[in-house]
Amino acid sequence: MTTARSTVAPADPATERALDGLILSMADDEFVIGFSDSEWTGIAPILEEDVAMSSIAQDELGHARALYELLAVVRADGSTADSIAYDREPAEYRHAQLLDHGRGDWAMTIARRYLYDTADGARLGGLAASSFAPLRELVDKIRREERYHVMHLTTWLERLARHEGEPRERLVAALEELGPDAATVFTPIDGEASLVDAGILGEPMAALEARWRATITPIFVGLDLPMPPPGALDGGRSNHGEAFRWLWGEFTSVRRSDPEAVW
Amino acid sequence: MTDQMPADRDIDAAFGGDGRTLEPWEVFRREKDGDPMRHGGSVMAPDATLALHYAREMFSRRQESVHLWVVRRADIHDLADLDLLQPPLDRSFKKPGGYVMRDKLAAARAQSGQAKPKARSGGRSAGTADR
Repeated sequence: MTTARSTVAPADPATERALDGLILSMADDEFVIGFSDSEWTGIAPILEEDVAMSSIAQDELGHARALYELLAVVRADGSTADSIAYDREPAEYRHAQLLDHGRGDWAMTIARRYLYDTADGARLGGLAASSFAPLRELVDKIRREERYHVMHLTTWLERLARHEGEPRERLVAALEELGPDAATVFTPIDGEASLVDAGILGEPMAALEARWRATITPIFVGLDLPMPPPGALDGGRSNHGEAFRWLWGEFTSVRRSDPEAVW
Repeated sequence: MTDQMPADRDIDAAFGGDGRTLEPWEVFRREKDGDPMRHGGSVMAPDATLALHYAREMFSRRQESVHLWVVRRADIHDLADLDLLQPPLDRSFKKPGGYVMRDKLAAARAQSGQAKPKARSGGRSAGTADR
């Protein structure tokens, strides 16, 4: 990224901190789900789906990388995409608790991805007209890729939901387990009001959550699936549990083996 | 493509049936505007929607296509009968160039004792003389 910091960073320090939190939360979400779903590489239900899920996971890691790079420019403190992505303790990650649920079985993976991708879609919609140009331009590219993700995941959600017996039972069980954490994608960002005032974020997260619910309600009603219940979002992006500590150990293992290595 | 599946690929749960609903789809792709559709290969899928998704993954994830078709292989009618496609008798008269006359002319000359005429220096081009 060649953008100079002077052209991107908000003037006001409080807004800049909030912007930092927003970009970090988005990047961590994409990084964690991208890494977690990449665990299907080699063991997805059929070879074609293996390629499809791996490709989607790779897309998310690409989005994470672009967001971390943007964050490094905003911070202008010598950090890089890699240092932000890998050189933190598990408690410092700010992904939504929805993504602390492991990939589980195939139905769990489909349910988690469907909930995340639709929520991410609503959040990206809230940034489509952002006054912060570097983020707006990146979001425009990301949305064009996310469109296919939602198409693919919707196809799978419908497929599992419409097959009575094991597929539907596994899907419903997954949605019941994930549902209470689904809205954690919309955990308010510290200083969110200043982002809305500056036109960086179109609407507060609570309004984006309402849009998300309005989008998925007809799908869930049509398939007779349990809607994610409204939940308390306090700490929705912290308090990561044991499952994430394990995942963190996995995705940082190479980096920690030689932190000074140049790739 | 699916008969070497590892044991932990839970295909029954994934496809919600007897697991035998996957079938081959042929994929055609256009590389760039103006090109014809060309056969690219095939994917296994349980329906047209997933066949298109998988075709997209296999044949355009690196942006190598601008248009894809998928066709259920079972919907393709084929003909591969060599008696019909490669008839054993000479069919060269059906080709744009007509019969190949060289051998017949040579035989006629040999019979009449004439030498092959030298290529003419004017008039029609020499290349057509033996046709």
